[in-house]
Parts: sequence; C-alpha cells; structure tokens
Amino acid sequence: MGISGFLARRAVTSIVTFFAIITLVFFLARLTGDPLAELENDPRISPETLQAIRAMFGLDKPLHEQYVAYIQNLLRGELGYSLHYGRPVMEVILEKLPYTLALLVPAITLSNYLAYKIGLEIGWRRGTRTDVVFLTVSIIFRSVPYFWLAMLFLYVFSVQLGVTPMFGATSPGMTFSWTWEWFADYLWHYVLPFTVLVVRATLAYMLYVRNAVIDLLGEDYVWTAHAKGMPVDYVKKKYVGRNALLPIVTLLGLRYAFLIDGAILTETVFSYPGTGRLVFEAIYNRDFWLLQGVVVILASSVIVANFIIDLIYALLDPRVKLR
Amino acid sequence: MVEKPRMAIGERRGLRAWVKQKLPGILDFIAFVRTNTPAKAGFTILFTLIAIAVFAPWIAPYDPEEPVGLPLQPPSPKHWLGTNDMGQDIFSELIYGTRISLFIGFVAAFIGTMMGTLIGLVAGYRGGLVDEVLMRITDMWLSMPTLLFTIFLVAVFSRLPQGTIMMAVIAAIALTAWPSVARLIRSAVIRLKEEPYIEAALAVGASHTRVMFRHILPNVTPLIIVEVITVTAIAMLTEASLAFLGLGDPTAKSWGMIIHYAMERNALFLGLWWWFIPPGLMISIAVLSVMLIGLGLEEYLNPRLRRGPRI
Repeated sequence: MGISGFLARRAVTSIVTFFAIITLVFFLARLTGDPLAELENDPRISPETLQAIRAMFGLDKPLHEQYVAYIQNLLRGELGYSLHYGRPVMEVILEKLPYTLALLVPAITLSNYLAYKIGLEIGWRRGTRTDVVFLTVSIIFRSVPYFWLAMLFLYVFSVQLGVTPMFGATSPGMTFSWTWEWFADYLWHYVLPFTVLVVRATLAYMLYVRNAVIDLLGEDYVWTAHAKGMPVDYVKKKYVGRNALLPIVTLLGLRYAFLIDGAILTETVFSYPGTGRLVFEAIYNRDFWLLQGVVVILASSVIVANFIIDLIYALLDPRVKLR
Repeated sequence: MVEKPRMAIGERRGLRAWVKQKLPGILDFIAFVRTNTPAKAGFTILFTLIAIAVFAPWIAPYDPEEPVGLPLQPPSPKHWLGTNDMGQDIFSELIYGTRISLFIGFVAAFIGTMMGTLIGLVAGYRGGLVDEVLMRITDMWLSMPTLLFTIFLVAVFSRLPQGTIMMAVIAAIALTAWPSVARLIRSAVIRLKEEPYIEAALAVGASHTRVMFRHILPNVTPLIIVEVITVTAIAMLTEASLAFLGLGDPTAKSWGMIIHYAMERNALFLGLWWWFIPPGLMISIAVLSVMLIGLGLEEYLNPRLRRGPRI
C-alpha cells in the first residue's frame, strides 16, 4: 500500500469522525432540551408564534426526520439561526473565522519552530542548568491559567504601560481596506494575543521535543556517529534533530486543537472578534445554536488540519510508502 | 479455588503494623516523599490548601457573601485584599473559593480517571473488535479541542431540568478527561495480560471479570494514582476557564468565578489588581502543587528516573 492507500484510509477516518461528531452534537443538543426553551418563557412570544417557529424549523417532526434534515442542512452549509445576531450562524462564523485563522496559523508555525529549537537544545544538554531553568519555567507556566496569563499581559502592556491597545482587532471606526494604515493598526492589535498564544504553546510543546531528543540520544546510530568522530554539531542537527521531527509532526494536530482552546480564552480576554470569542458570546447571550455551530465548524477544522498533517507526514516519512 | 488464610500467623497488632501489612507501599512512599523535593513541596502546598478549605469559616475574617465594607476598596488592614463591587471581602472569597475549586478539581478528575480506567481495562483485556471500537472513539475524542467540547457539554447539561451547574461542570470535565487515561491504562493492560499469573488464574477457572478486576486492576493502580493527579491539574485549570467564561455556579464562587466577575466589572481596565490577581495566583499555586506531586510520583514509580538527570 503506497501513499495513496494511506491517504485514502485517512480520508475515510476523517469522514467517519466528522459524522460521529455532528451526530454526537445533534443528539446531545436535542435530547437534553427544547432548542426553543429560551423563548418559552419570553412574554413577548405567544404560544401560537412559538408553534409557528417550531413548525418553521421542523421541530414538530420526529427525531429521526430532524436528524436527516440536520445532516442535509449541514452539508449545504446551514447551521441554523443565531438568536442573538439575528442572522444565519454560518454567516456569523465565516465573518469571524479569518481573524482566528490569521492568529492560529502563524502561532502554530512560530511556536513549533521555537519549541523545536529550544527542545533540541535543552534535550541535548539535559541535566544542565539551562535545561533545569527551562523545565522550571515550563512547569510554572503550565500551572498558570491561560486566560489569567492573557489578563496579566493585557494589564501590564495595555493598562499600565499603554503600549498596546485595550481591545479589538482594529481600532473602533477602522474598516477593512488594503492599506498600510489598516494593516499597521491590525498588527498593533495582533501583537499581544499572538504573543500569549505563542509563549504558552512553545513552553508546552518544548517538553515533547526535549523528551523525543533524550530518547534518540540512546539510539545506536547516534553512538556510532559519535564513535566515528563526527562533528558534534552535525550529529545534533542531522542525526538527532532530523529524527526528532517525526514525533513533532505527529502531534501537530493535537497542538492545533490545543491552540483553539487557547484562542477561545485569549480572544475573550482581548475582546478579539474571532470565532473563539463567539464561544464566549454564545454562552453570554444563551445563543445555543451559535455555540453548536462554532463547535461543528471548529471540530471540522481540526479534522481537516489532521488530514493535512497526515499528508505532510506521508511526505516526510518514507516508511509510509512501505506500509 | 482454595481460599488462602487472610492473615498470617503471629500477626502483629497496631496501626503501623496494620499499615505495613495491608498497604506495604505506603510507608515506602512516605519515606520517598521525604527525600524528593518536588513531591515534598507539592504535598506541603496541597495539604495547606486542603486545611484552608476545611477550616475556611475559622480562617476567613468575613462572610464572603455579605457586603461588609465599601465597594472597590484597595487592600487595607481591615480588608487584606480589598473589596469587590458589592463590598464583599475578597480575601474571604478566596478562602471559601478554595473549597469549590479543590472539590470540583478532585471529584471531576476522580470520575474521569475511573471512566478512563474502565474503558482502558476493557479495551486492553478484551482486544479485538471491542478494543478497535473503543480506541477509535478514544482517539476521536482525544483529537478534539478539549475546552471547546467541555464548554459545549456544560451548555448542554445545564439545560437539563434536574441537576446544578456544578454537577454539569463536573460531568463535562470528567467526560473530556478520560481518553488520555484510557490510552495509558490500555497499553499497560496489554503488557500485563501476557503475564504467566494471568494464564494461571484463568487455568484455575477464574472468570474474565475476576481476572480483570482482581488481578490486572491492582497492578495498574500506581498508574491510576498518577493519572488522578495529572488529571486533577487539568481539571482545576478547566474549571477555572469555564468559570471565567461564565459557566460556573453563581451560588458557589470558585477562584475562576471571582475573576469572571472582576472581568465583567472591568476590574482590569480600572486597575483593580487586587480583585483579579490573587485568585489567579491561587489557581496557579493549587495547580502547581498537584503538578509537583505528579512529577514526584512519576519518579517514585519509574525508578529509572530516580537517579536524576544524566549529564
């Protein structure tokens, strides 16, 4: 089985996962309560209106019919209606998604690069003072709640020092245009949330790289390379560093998922208008359909990301061709 | 199967002897903790926090739910950490918050670890199709953003007519925490089930259930303990994040909830640092203590690590 077989299998897994997730979301949402429960106690809405809304959304039909309709709608890109925004959920999410992706993709790239560099270095020098310092910093940072770290950054840099903005992705009144002015303003708002994501992610991933490096140091081929007098730096970069890449690529998907969690909290703290903050808004406004839509979209993005990572993995690891 | 006599002849009396016989590992473990710096520090902090939680009414100077001063006062000798927008004493809120945060963290971690253990045990022992299906579900759940799904589950559960938000939070954390435990326990079980004594137990007619729970489970107990500790750290952080986002019990204010209210009242922009910095520090300290214990435990259970880092 070659690369195509491997990828075909992964594609099937991805599709199965997608259906499993949306099914889970549907049944959890439906079995625990009436989707219109929030409207039931609203004095402005008469029972007849409620009945009409119920019929409009097909909520008076049996559950399995609703499920089929739900799947059909999903595949057509319809995720329901946000009660707070008064617009289709999909529209709201698509409007916010670019902000989040523009935050996540560079953050995952930079944090992985830094984690790789630092992890290789401290793994190579395990037990030295540098290693111990980084390990200590890492365990302390992992104990600090994500959102609180973001709050400290915001408090120090925006409130105390006043060098970064207080909230938002752009200044109020600024509308999107392809100008330097807009871009500079955007970057100015971008720095802080981006830094929080990168710092936190780097300190978490660094340990995986370090442990992978330490495992590799015991391999026979590393000893052989040393024994035949290869330059130390060459062994570090080509023999250990290259091989430490594989476990890193495998975990990329998990990191993307981890960064999404980070984005939910970071965007909330910085009032950043991304998909992560939508989660908070949906909770705040009791906008259940919006929350459900965000869960479906973000989960799908994880599935897509995982598939892309498998693709990279297949290209990087020649052994995949043989499996 | 012939029942063995449960007690050795000439058994010594006394607590120490009883402990030594029934739980031979405990004394060894206590001796280890005494010499291991991270574990010692972790246990010291954790026991202090537990003491604070238990003796909260005696430690806290005020009732945390009563307005006892002017609103938004900075720290003073009367109110060590100032007051919030309702004139409640923040120091007292922190003391009482210890109860909620520790309780949710430990209970959720315990339930989550038990679920993971059960699933890992069954998957690893049964193998075949059962294993395949359970591990597919585990991997799928593992690949998803944990916090996002925890939020969704809390939102779903809190719509149920019965039950409280706190129960919803605990259930949601437990339901997202089990997969990593299940994976770990499964791989340990797969290694264990090839052991000769399992074959022997089966040969003398022990049922599979008995083998699973009486022969394999005790052997993965150390692993379970480490997992409970690791998951507790995650559970406490998740609880704090949920509370921060507004998914907490308003009648039982945890540290995360204090920060939530502080953010809602713009404490950050008004520079009211005494309102949001101390609760964050408390969360960090609590999580750190648990992580340090986990670090120590790992070293205890994996003697290869005991020698300390090689140079």
